[in-house]
Amino acid sequence: MARMTIDGKEYDVDPKLTIIQAAAENGIEIPHFCWHPSLSVAGNCRMCLVEVEKMPKLAIACATQVADGMIVKTESERAIKARQAVMEFLLINHPLDCPICDEAGECKLQDYSYKYSIGYSRFEEDKVHKPKRVELGPHVMLDVERCIMCSRCIRFSDEIAKQPVLTFTQRGDHVVLTTFPGTKLDNPYSMNVIELCPVGALTSTDFRFKSRVWEMSSTESVCPGCARGCNMQIWVRNNQILRQTPRLNEEVNSYWMCDAGRLNTYKPVNSPQRLKAPMVRKDGALVEVGWDEAIAKAASELKSFKKNELAALASAYATNEDNYVFLRFVREVLGTKNLDFVRHVVEGDEDELLIRADKTPNSTGLKLLGVGPMEGGRDLTGIIQGIKEGVIRALYILEDDVASVPEIAAVLPNLQLLVVHSSIQNKTTEYADVVLSASTYAERHGTFTNFLGRVQRIRPAVATLEHDRALDGFAMSRWDKFASHNDRWGRPMKRDARPTWRILTALAGALGTKFRYNTSEEVFKEITERVPAFKGLSYAKLGSGGVTIQLREQAAVPAS
Amino acid sequence: MERLILPDIKDLHKLDVYEAHGGYSALRKALGMKPEEVTDEVKKSNLRGRGGACFPTGLKWTFMPKQTNKPKYLCVNGDESEPGTFKDRQIFEFNPHLLIEGTIIACYAMGITTAYLYIRGEYGKWIRMMQKAVDDAYAKGYIGKNILGTEFSTELVIHKGAGAYICGEESALMNSIEGERGYPRVKPPFPAQYGLWGCPTTINNVETISNVPIIINRGWEWYSKIGAPKHPGPILVGVSGHVNKPGVYEMPTGVPLLEIIYKYAGGVPGNKAIKAVIPGGSSTPILRGDQLEGVCMDADSMKAAGSAVGTAGLIVMDEDTDLIQVIARISKFYHHESCGQCTPCREGTGWLHKILDRFVAGEGTKEDIDLLMEIANNIEGNTICALGDAAAWPVQSMIRRFRDEFERRVARRTAPVVEAVSA
Ligand SMILES: Cc1cc2nc3c(=O)[nH]c(=O)nc-3n(C[C@H](O)[C@H](O)[C@H](O)COP(=O)(O)O)c2cc1C
Ligand code: SF4
Ligand code: SF4
Repeated sequence: MARMTIDGKEYDVDPKLTIIQAAAENGIEIPHFCWHPSLSVAGNCRMCLVEVEKMPKLAIACATQVADGMIVKTESERAIKARQAVMEFLLINHPLDCPICDEAGECKLQDYSYKYSIGYSRFEEDKVHKPKRVELGPHVMLDVERCIMCSRCIRFSDEIAKQPVLTFTQRGDHVVLTTFPGTKLDNPYSMNVIELCPVGALTSTDFRFKSRVWEMSSTESVCPGCARGCNMQIWVRNNQILRQTPRLNEEVNSYWMCDAGRLNTYKPVNSPQRLKAPMVRKDGALVEVGWDEAIAKAASELKSFKKNELAALASAYATNEDNYVFLRFVREVLGTKNLDFVRHVVEGDEDELLIRADKTPNSTGLKLLGVGPMEGGRDLTGIIQGIKEGVIRALYILEDDVASVPEIAAVLPNLQLLVVHSSIQNKTTEYADVVLSASTYAERHGTFTNFLGRVQRIRPAVATLEHDRALDGFAMSRWDKFASHNDRWGRPMKRDARPTWRILTALAGALGTKFRYNTSEEVFKEITERVPAFKGLSYAKLGSGGVTIQLREQAAVPAS
Repeated sequence: MERLILPDIKDLHKLDVYEAHGGYSALRKALGMKPEEVTDEVKKSNLRGRGGACFPTGLKWTFMPKQTNKPKYLCVNGDESEPGTFKDRQIFEFNPHLLIEGTIIACYAMGITTAYLYIRGEYGKWIRMMQKAVDDAYAKGYIGKNILGTEFSTELVIHKGAGAYICGEESALMNSIEGERGYPRVKPPFPAQYGLWGCPTTINNVETISNVPIIINRGWEWYSKIGAPKHPGPILVGVSGHVNKPGVYEMPTGVPLLEIIYKYAGGVPGNKAIKAVIPGGSSTPILRGDQLEGVCMDADSMKAAGSAVGTAGLIVMDEDTDLIQVIARISKFYHHESCGQCTPCREGTGWLHKILDRFVAGEGTKEDIDLLMEIANNIEGNTICALGDAAAWPVQSMIRRFRDEFERRVARRTAPVVEAVSA
């Protein structure tokens, strides 16, 4: 341990750290642009210049190792002056187009301008002009005039994404960020440079010009795109998801997430194909009905089959809570032993950074809960076989477009009854007799268990008909808070969708079994009491980063 | 004084002529000594770097780790791109084997097995001449395997620059050799720990290295008595500007600037008065013509006068020189050559240049003078490499020593306006 002083206060720090790291560990932010905890040190922005006693020049905190007895002053006259100078330099050639810049509101340059600059410009010359609207790759747009040459994006591409395609060309204030000839920034993690970029030089082609940052609410959640479960933030305006961004979790995804998770998971939530209400098949066509009618219809249909004529498919896209309630539903209400779930593994589509071949967020959770055929029951292959042979005549499916698997699609027409929970119209709903409109990952509470056994919470960011943003504790944007009845964004479109566990609770009731769950948290509490792997957990303990549990081969089947 | 680096010998660049005049005897002598003894000899000689910073050469060599399982490298810096500096070129042309001999001795002293000679890309002719000399030395066994029949082997590779002043900065030079963008590195780590390809590396100027055979041949005691005691040895001074005989002159350190100008370089054309000199290449602070008395070409004297030896590229400007144009042109150079990596230099050099261009056009204001000074102050000391300082010093010194010139330029613009009002 080294004992050092920062701005008059003493700290014991690891002598291997740099000043900026030691300060950060003690909750002090030394202003910086180019430094990033997960990237190599570049030392180029010079924003972190601090005064160190006994050193003749100011030192950059990002590249200066601490030492015992070191006295650092971040607020000395010299340090303040140097910071103001760096801010002034950074701004002279900057376009200052905050009013039309996506970054405004979450821009380091803008924030630091308020905090550390003198507040006016002494620059009266012509600014340097550089290329604008440069497509670096399919998802990232560059405005070179806004670039402050911090090289974060270059270092990310080289060091983390391992696709070294970015570089600077030219010199001095003519430096231009670009891709090497014949290359594109098109690695699976390309969009991380957007958040890394401390200014608005790199923007998302998907999100740019859609919204000011402060018009959106942001909700902590987890990406449902694969078994990694990258922590993320869901950004919503007017009850629509506009973007998803990674959220720091060193145990899971560090600062990053993949482009597919970021883009492909939210598109279905906003999709026009979303179900607006439950549906039942009447005269051969699915028609929207109320919940009471849909539940009654499902109940009466299900009752007409023998237990061994029924089969059930759980879903690794659904939460632990949904699958747990489903497990009880299948055992105690349907009474069938034929239970399994469909794996969605894309062999080869994985890497060493984040992306997993298992494209579902909760298959580990299902294993831990004991979702699978019961003693003497059929597994997925057996169920398909049974449907083919006409032995299995009714199938109940949770939130999974199983008809996207050709072998399953082939047998679905043989069924006499297909009940499906789904949030969207898809191949499977085409075959369904009853479709119960389920809410998406973005519209409910719940937990996923990632491939490492980390149990992580998702939270509702988009409101359905059953929600009220304010009363239900949603994250609120300024618009959400201050909209009046005649503002368009005060009356957003809400869909009639419910979380699967709630639908199942209602259906169990209609079939004569009372489940006493009012919230997802209550379901989770029961899981922690009945499934050993989850013992001792609670929503409060999971917090925002989740908890890793011991993975065991044999998971217990809950006692009813 | 006897000329040691550029002796007046015809065809000395040819290997046989060099040998006939005692060439490579220092190498033979050095190989008979222990490597530490060679370093010690250089250390005691008080040789200081000729690349700009006057850093003690022997001391620099001792920074190289003795015990390491990594290869070690020497980079001989011949990028020579500072305006006003053209002395290493003379060595390439007139005494290339002295440089080669010094390089091999330095490698031997530090246990180095590969040396790179980095030559400014525009020096096409001199690169060819140097390559010929290296090839000849290889053929004669002065470079390569088992040099002069000893256990010691080392390679010497010439690397051609690609036209960037910044690649003369030692860490940018290493990046350039590695094939990377010519960006200076953040120090520490210093090159002796983490240099070329992450291995221990020493960087020395061409002229510095060329002094080494002389020291080995004649001994440190003899050498250290040449010129200024604390900065001894022969020095190549490149004189340019308003002198009758511009050129590179070899002399002992410590010669008065006025003697250099009037005796070596033949005085100022038309016997005009000297308005200013830049003593050591464009980055060194400018001196007023009326403050030159007693100022000598050595580190201490220059420091006392408020400037630096730099690369001993002396630029003389007579009384009719437009110093505003001079400083605008110098600032243009640093603006053009800033690598653009760190904020103060990248943005500040351009800003200085643009304001100074306005002064040239008669559009500067009084406030601009203070602004120029502040910009320069805000660059100085706050950057990764010394190019930032090199851009700041000329501006600071010009304002400090010739503020009246700036003020006159401001007045020139405002004068007609005043007349119009009073008319
Ligand atoms: C911008 C810049 C350009 C430089 N250019 C040269 C050069 O062309 N030649 C040179 O020998 N040193 C140059 N230097 C100095 C080198 O960084 C280094 O200090 C020198 O080569 C060390 O050699 P010495 O110790 O023998 O003087 C430059 C330094 C800076 C900051
Ligand atoms: S684009 Fe952004 S991240 Fe990349 S160098 Fe410029 S400012 Fe830095
Ligand atoms: S001081 Fe100038 S030349 Fe040196 S690293 Fe910084 S930007 Fe590049």
